Amino acid sequence: MARLTKLLVANRGEIALRIIRSARLFGLKTVAVYSAADAQSAHVGAADEAIAIGPAEAAKSYLDIAAIVAAAKHAGADAIHPGYGFLSERPEFAQAAADAQIVFVGPRPDVMAALGNKVAARRIAVAAGVPVVPGIETAEISAAREFGANAGYPILIKAAAGGGGRGMRVVTEAAQLATALEAAAREAAAAFGDGRIFIEKYLAHPRHIEIQILGDQHGNVVALGERDCSIQRRHQKIVEESPAPGLSDAMRAKMIDAALRLARAANYTNAGTAEFLVEGDNFYFLEVNARLQVEHPVTEMRFGCDLVCEQLRVASGGEVSEPAAPRGAAIECRINAEDPEHDFRPATGTVLHLSMPGGPGVRFDSHLVRGAEVTPWYDGLLGKLICYGADREEARGRLVDALGEFALLGVTNNAAYLRDIIASDQFRDAKLSTHFIEEFFSGWKIGNAEIEAAIVAAAISASHAPTENAAPRTGVERRSPWDSLHNFELWGARR
Amino acid sequence: MKLTRTGDPHEIDAEVISRDGDTIRVRVGDRELAAEFAPNADGGGILAIDGRRYPVYSARRKVSIFVAVGPASFEFKPAQASARRRGRGLAAAEITAPMPGKVLKVMVRDGDLVEAGQPLVVIEAMKMETTLAAESAARVKRVRVAEGDTVDHGAVLIELSPPPAASSGPESAPPVR
Repeated sequence: MARLTKLLVANRGEIALRIIRSARLFGLKTVAVYSAADAQSAHVGAADEAIAIGPAEAAKSYLDIAAIVAAAKHAGADAIHPGYGFLSERPEFAQAAADAQIVFVGPRPDVMAALGNKVAARRIAVAAGVPVVPGIETAEISAAREFGANAGYPILIKAAAGGGGRGMRVVTEAAQLATALEAAAREAAAAFGDGRIFIEKYLAHPRHIEIQILGDQHGNVVALGERDCSIQRRHQKIVEESPAPGLSDAMRAKMIDAALRLARAANYTNAGTAEFLVEGDNFYFLEVNARLQVEHPVTEMRFGCDLVCEQLRVASGGEVSEPAAPRGAAIECRINAEDPEHDFRPATGTVLHLSMPGGPGVRFDSHLVRGAEVTPWYDGLLGKLICYGADREEARGRLVDALGEFALLGVTNNAAYLRDIIASDQFRDAKLSTHFIEEFFSGWKIGNAEIEAAIVAAAISASHAPTENAAPRTGVERRSPWDSLHNFELWGARR
Repeated sequence: MKLTRTGDPHEIDAEVISRDGDTIRVRVGDRELAAEFAPNADGGGILAIDGRRYPVYSARRKVSIFVAVGPASFEFKPAQASARRRGRGLAAAEITAPMPGKVLKVMVRDGDLVEAGQPLVVIEAMKMETTLAAESAARVKRVRVAEGDTVDHGAVLIELSPPPAASSGPESAPPVR
C-alpha cells in the first residue's frame, strides 16, 4: 500500500480549496498551483506550499501538463489530484503523472481514454448489458423506416461526424423521414465532409440521473446512490439533488446495477459517475465522468462521507466497502458569476461584500472572500450551496432560506434566480426534466419589489457620496447617515 | 438623479428628497416612497419599504453603484457619469470588449446607421456567447475587428459617431451635467 505524504492539487477555485481541506484531514501536506490571475486566491493561502505555474490563460497554466508535473516534482509531491474540469479527464495527464512516479488520484489513463471516447464507451456499455439510447448508423431509408417503427417516434437524425447540434433534426412521424434523411446527409456532407448519418430515439422529456461509483485497485466497486441533475441550462447543471424525487426503489436498483456492471467492465478505479437519461420506466446510458463531479457534495451529505478522502484512500491502495444506508435528502445549487436577466452574460468584478448563509444542514463550498477578484479567465462558478434535510421539503426550505441569507456585492450573480427556482411550485412538485428551465424559467426577472429596494438603495448611495463633477443637491443634508458604519467604503465612494 | 441599470437601456429617475434620522424619503419616477434604514455591524443594513424588510448592501466603485438586496445583485451607473462620456446624443462612442474573447460575428459595416438596442458584435468568452448592442442610435464610424479575431478585455471593437440628426448641433455642445 502506497503511503502518500504530499498532494499537489492541479486546480483552482472552490474545488481546490475543498480538496486541500480533505487532504489535510487525511494527513497529507498540500501543494497548490496557481496562475498569475490567482496569486491571491483562497486555495493558494490554504495549502502548505504554492507554486506559480504560468500566466492567466488556462492553456498556459492549469492546462499545462508539463508545468504541473514539474511543479509536483519540484515540491516532492507523491500524488496529484486533478479536481474537475481542466486536465481531470485527460489520459495524457494521468500518464504523465505515472511516468513521473506520481500517484494520479483518479482512474488509470487507459480506462480514462476508453471511457472518454463516446463511441468506445457506448460499446463497453452495450457489451456490459447496460441500456443505451437505441440508435443505428445508416442513411438508408428502408433501414431508417425499420428503426423508426421499432424504436417509436420521435427519432433524432444527426451527422455521425457532427457535434454542436448542427444537422440535427427531430422527426415526429414516418412520413417526414425520407426528406429529413436526405437533407441531413446533404448538410452533414457540406458541414463535415462526411455524409454518414446516425439515427437515434429522441427522448422528448428525459430526466438526467447519475450514479456515483467508487472503485478500488482490488476489483471492488461500490455505488453511492443517485443524483438527479435534470435542471440544466444549455447542458450546464445548475441544481442537483439526491435522492431523485419519485425514483422507485426497483428503478434505482436497476440503475445502480447497470452502473456497477459498467464500472467492472471498464476496470474502473477511484471516483466516477455514470450518467443516464431517464424517461418513464426506461433509462439509457449517456457517459461516464471519470473524475469527481461538481455536485458530489449532495452524495456526501446523504451518506455522511467525504468523497475526496475516499479517493485518497483508494489511491493509497485502500479498499472500498459497502456504504451505510443513505439518509434524508440533499439539494445543491451552483452560484455563478452571470447575469440571469440578460442572457446569462458572464460577469466579473471584485467581491465588495459577502454574506455567507449558515445554520443546521447548510454547507457553502466556495473560495470567495471579500476583496476576491472574479476574472474572465475561468468558468464563473462562485460557490455551491448545499442543504441537507430529513426529507426533500426540509432540504428545500433550508436552501430557500440559505439563498435568502446569501448576499454578494460587486459581482452580478444568479443567486436570486436560484432562490426563485428552488422556491417555485414546479420545483417543489419535482416537475423535473432537462427542459425544466425553458418550460418554467425562460424569461425570469428579479421581482419588482426587490428592484425598487435596489433603486432606493442606489439613490441613497449616490446621494451622499457626491463625485467632484456632480451638481450639489439642494435640501439634502450631505452628511451620511451611516458615518458610524464600521466600513466606510460601503455606501460611499471608494477611497 | 438619473440612474441606469446595467443591461437595461431605460433610465431610472430616483432621488433622495429628505432624511430624518433613519427615515428617508425617496422619489422614484413620479412616486414618493418612505424608507427606513437600520445599519448593521457588517456595513450593510436593513431597508424597510412598505413594511417589507430587505438586507441591503451598497458600494461605489469607479462610476458603478453596486447594490445587493439579499441575493439579488445589481449594478447601476449614474446617468450623469455616462453623459459625461457622451458625444452629442451618443450613449457611448466606442463598443469595447467586456472580457477577453473571440469575435464570432460582426453584424455591421462602416457607415451603417444603427438603432438603440441593435446587435453589433457577438463575442465568445467563458464558453458563452455575448451579444453587444448599440446603447443609442448611432452611425458606425469604424469596425475595428473581424470575425475570428481574439480580443483583450477593453479592446475597442467598434467606433461610433452620432447619428445624423444629433450631429447637427454645435461641436462644442457640453454634455449634460
